[in-house]
Amino acid sequence: MAKKLTFESVNCGDVLPEVKQHVTQEVIWKHAVASLDYNPVHTYPEWCKTAQVFGLPLPVMHGNQTMSLMATVITNWAYPSGGRLRQMEVKLIKPVPVGSTCTYGGVVTEKHPIGKGENFVVLDLWAANQEGEKVAVGMAQVTLL
Amino acid sequence: MGYLEEMAKYQRTEKQKSFSADFLERQQIEDYEFWDEIEIGKETVIPFKFEVKAEDMIAYAEGVPDSSPVFYDDEYAKKCGYDSLVAHPMFATQVLFFVLQKGHGSWIRTPGARNPGQILEWHDPIRVGDVLTVKTKSHDKWVKRGKYYMRYLSEMYDQNGKLKGRCFMTLILPKSKDDVLRFIKGEHALEV
Repeated sequence: MAKKLTFESVNCGDVLPEVKQHVTQEVIWKHAVASLDYNPVHTYPEWCKTAQVFGLPLPVMHGNQTMSLMATVITNWAYPSGGRLRQMEVKLIKPVPVGSTCTYGGVVTEKHPIGKGENFVVLDLWAANQEGEKVAVGMAQVTLL
Repeated sequence: MGYLEEMAKYQRTEKQKSFSADFLERQQIEDYEFWDEIEIGKETVIPFKFEVKAEDMIAYAEGVPDSSPVFYDDEYAKKCGYDSLVAHPMFATQVLFFVLQKGHGSWIRTPGARNPGQILEWHDPIRVGDVLTVKTKSHDKWVKRGKYYMRYLSEMYDQNGKLKGRCFMTLILPKSKDDVLRFIKGEHALEV
């Protein structure tokens, strides 16, 4: 088990380890089955060729899968130490079509020493495609022991 | 093989196998809500419940994909300080799509919808054995740069009435039933 993370050990400016994911149709289909979001904009390549919901003839990754991977940046970092995500707000900026490779990351921006069991940090979160363009940004509050 | 058959290969849990996965099925559109008809302030306790099983939580983590053992291994989760297996934070997505298959809130299934981002709060851990009830309220709708936004506030409660989490669910929707019908036929029906 990795070295235990505590509220005291975390500092503003700490950068969380990044997560990377290549987006294939199979990755999207598996997420559709897991989330029960079978919307054809993600799952039906033939339909996407004509419907072009995002102006693209390709299926796009679920926005909530992007958010899930942004959350994974946090859970990889804090959950082995008993941390808890308590709030997250994400703005999805650009669609992520099949064939993209995205990187997800975060940085600690605030510490809130409220009291034992209630102390939390605030993080800025981001997701970027293979061109380095932001596809999502957000912020989260994470309770740390 | 069709796209639904391709995905059926990955269905393992009881809920995945029983779920109505064809969002383009013409009949179900009669149960959908449409942007121009939604009444702000309407609140509903959704009659469908979600009984949480370990297979549901594990399946969600696999579909992220997230391989952290806190989502798969009860003993490991306890060593990390949790009282039992942990649900991935975005597991709420599965819960909401399961209970909102028809009626109030079913607009989340709309063909042609776009996701501009979401706000979630976690108040108490979801645990295996919880029976979740969702209360949903039409919170706001607005037009911005020619796009039609809809926001609902959905709250999840356990079998003891304890608040587990809240989600401000927002989508950009086709404006009307006619526009959704065009999407069902595979036509583009949004603003230029």
